[in-house]
Amino acid sequence: MNPFLIELNGKTVKVYAQKIKGETWLHMNGRTFIYQDEAQQQMKKKGKQSAHAGDLIAPMPGKVTKILKQSGDSVTKGEVVVVMEAMKMEYTLKSDGNGLIKTVNCKVGEQVSLGKILVHIEATHETT
Amino acid sequence: MKIERIAIANRGEVAVRIIKACEELGIETVLLHSEVDIQTRAYRMADHKICIGPATTSESYLNIQANIDGALAGQAQAIHPGFGFLSENADFAQACIDAGLIFIGPSPKATRTLGDKVSCKELAKKLGLPLVPGYQGDNQEISFLVAEAEKIGFPVIVKAAAGEGGRGMKVLRDKKSASELIESAQREAQSAFGSPKVFLEKYLDKAKHIEFQIFGDVTGKVIHLNDRECSVQRRHQKIIEEAMSPSISQELRREMGQAACLIAESASYQGAGTVEFLLQDGKYYLLEVNTRLQVEHPVTEMVMGVDLVKAQILTAMKKNVFDAREMLSPRGQSIECRIYAENPFLGGVPSTGKLGLVLWPEGPGRRFEYGFDEGDEITSFYDPMIAKVIVWDETRIRAIQKMKKVLSESVVFGVHTNIPFLQEILSHPDFINGTMTTRFIDQYFSEPITKFELNKNEKEITEKTIRLLAPQTQQSNTTITQSPFNSYWRNA
Repeated sequence: MNPFLIELNGKTVKVYAQKIKGETWLHMNGRTFIYQDEAQQQMKKKGKQSAHAGDLIAPMPGKVTKILKQSGDSVTKGEVVVVMEAMKMEYTLKSDGNGLIKTVNCKVGEQVSLGKILVHIEATHETT
Repeated sequence: MKIERIAIANRGEVAVRIIKACEELGIETVLLHSEVDIQTRAYRMADHKICIGPATTSESYLNIQANIDGALAGQAQAIHPGFGFLSENADFAQACIDAGLIFIGPSPKATRTLGDKVSCKELAKKLGLPLVPGYQGDNQEISFLVAEAEKIGFPVIVKAAAGEGGRGMKVLRDKKSASELIESAQREAQSAFGSPKVFLEKYLDKAKHIEFQIFGDVTGKVIHLNDRECSVQRRHQKIIEEAMSPSISQELRREMGQAACLIAESASYQGAGTVEFLLQDGKYYLLEVNTRLQVEHPVTEMVMGVDLVKAQILTAMKKNVFDAREMLSPRGQSIECRIYAENPFLGGVPSTGKLGLVLWPEGPGRRFEYGFDEGDEITSFYDPMIAKVIVWDETRIRAIQKMKKVLSESVVFGVHTNIPFLQEILSHPDFINGTMTTRFIDQYFSEPITKFELNKNEKEITEKTIRLLAPQTQQSNTTITQSPFNSYWRNA
């Protein structure tokens, strides 16, 4: 693939760009990134809002190896709730804030796909 | 003795590396691969391919009988195990011999002696080599363990005997809190591993990881090809390695090198191996011996001007290598960065999928070891390392500069890589000064790195590119002048 040579303010910048599965991957000025237009960004934001702020979402496809909480348990910010394993490595999923576990949607040993909501956490109000 | 055909019991970039060495020696290759690994570079390059089982490693790459059967069916005379998988498995080496195959590596006996941590430490003790002080006995009484910890000298680390990795470890800082922490470690060990037994070991909190490349030739003599430093690690996984270490004096280098050769020679070691040490406060401790080729072997090859894989094969053919020993003097500095398929902005979670454009910017003193091209799939079945970038330059600082440049020109689309993370490490003062320790990543990079923002100009350029990329404006593509300077990239 030949790079695009884009001129801006009298300077030429070399850009590699490729569409893969609806996303546009770009490389310029020594960095690789995925381009999202305004509409896509809005969609992403909306998508985020529909999931609850405290929910734990699988950040990658992998196996659930440990669930340390069950529904009804309270969690504090930074507390480990789920442990996942992928590519021979372990990843811990921590709670974003203080809250109460409403539902656990996964089982130990289960192979989960990227983006699955593993644990539904309802935020509790901060007390001082 | 001439080997005409070698079976490769591995995958990815190391399989490619072995194929290249075989091609140079005029040896045919048989790739022993899993069902899913048919769209890989090694598969496309090998002369013969034999599928040895499904994707799951235990049924293919770790299955001794399947590998032996595959090698025999492929009419190979020898097996190269690469690294990882069965490379340090003495039973596999023995099974090769029993099947009439040459195992390219040390003898099963040498692998057992040095590869097993307990027997390796026993041998080291007998030879008077320094080990990390500790207690690994059966007496688990709290008061006894506290006394042992005191003898070792604080800080001391308590580890679950049945454990692995960092789980259940506790650091004892003083006598006062020691008994409570040991008790708690025993409880944790019981619940996590089913046994309350714990070990004590001196806690090296600012140690460097230094290792020596050793090589045992057909005459039984073991030489070393100097050292590498691999202190930049995350969860005991190396990320950046270099040769030679910027941290040791010539005197210490001589001493550690001699220690490395001594233990290998006393185990009648043959072929390539690595003796790993921890270094803290000017004192070194033997960590373990890896009885195989190492992932980071290219940095040694770059500064020593040798080909370790070729040397392994020639040694297996009973040929002498590294004859002019006095000529093996190092030159310059070499650095290797491991490219992992992971998202650095999400703390390194694995990234899988089909590779889009892949460009490795070749040039003087640059070397790329990779196992996948555009269109190949990165799956979650195997290790996330997809490539290694190696540079050489006259000085360490120039090598760092070159690496940063090379990484900035490297392009991988389709899966995320740790390249932005590597760039931050390469710019960190501790790395530049060469003062990094094995806790470097924990200390400075415990949080995911921050995602960068495009500036106004970059946004504008992006928009322009997107418009050119859109199919309805395809025609405007023809007005773009093609760069005369882009001939370096590989059409993958």
